[in-house]
Amino acid sequence: KRYSKDKEKKKKESIFDLSKYIDKPIRVKFQGGREASGVLKGFDPLLNLVLDGTIEYMRDPDDQLKLTEDTRQLGLVVCRGTSVVLICPQDGMEAIPNPFIQQQDG
Amino acid sequence: VSLSKTLNPLIYKLVDKCIGSRIHIVMKTDKEIVGTLLGFDDFVNMVLEDVTEFEITPEGRRITKLDQILLNGNNITMVCKYCACLVSLYSRYRLTGVS
Repeated sequence: KRYSKDKEKKKKESIFDLSKYIDKPIRVKFQGGREASGVLKGFDPLLNLVLDGTIEYMRDPDDQLKLTEDTRQLGLVVCRGTSVVLICPQDGMEAIPNPFIQQQDG
Repeated sequence: VSLSKTLNPLIYKLVDKCIGSRIHIVMKTDKEIVGTLLGFDDFVNMVLEDVTEFEITPEGRRITKLDQILLNGNNITMVCKYCACLVSLYSRYRLTGVS
């Protein structure tokens, strides 16, 4: 009897407001290992994104985990929210040497 | 006016504008699809025509399918209009003479 009251629809609240990234360059990582960056033009609560001037960073064909210098221009792109795993500002990240590699004793 | 319940209207409009044009769809895996967009639904499943499918293999592979396909939206990562980026796609797959 309380069941119906508890089941009142809750509006889907975002834990993060992407509007502060609008018109700013961001980096996006996808399920499957793809990475891209572009200027955020729009988004929705499901994390579908519209990016402009998009560049995709290609991975090494031999080692799928390694990024190469290779990029390609995709232009205006719709990114599916179902596949997005990470979003960060373009200048908010940098590559560092692998911290997990054990140093060999000389 | 968007009839979609799950897709944001602005994003719906952007994909809707592509209906009738050739578009380039990048999947989560190393597969890409180029085709003419006939339509899509709330989940961005797509109906495409005159489709070419590209897959990364050591040799590079291309499969051309005509007629229509229904592309499952589950694995779609990016959608863009057929453009200059495809020049690099063809060289990456070592293909020539693809329309």
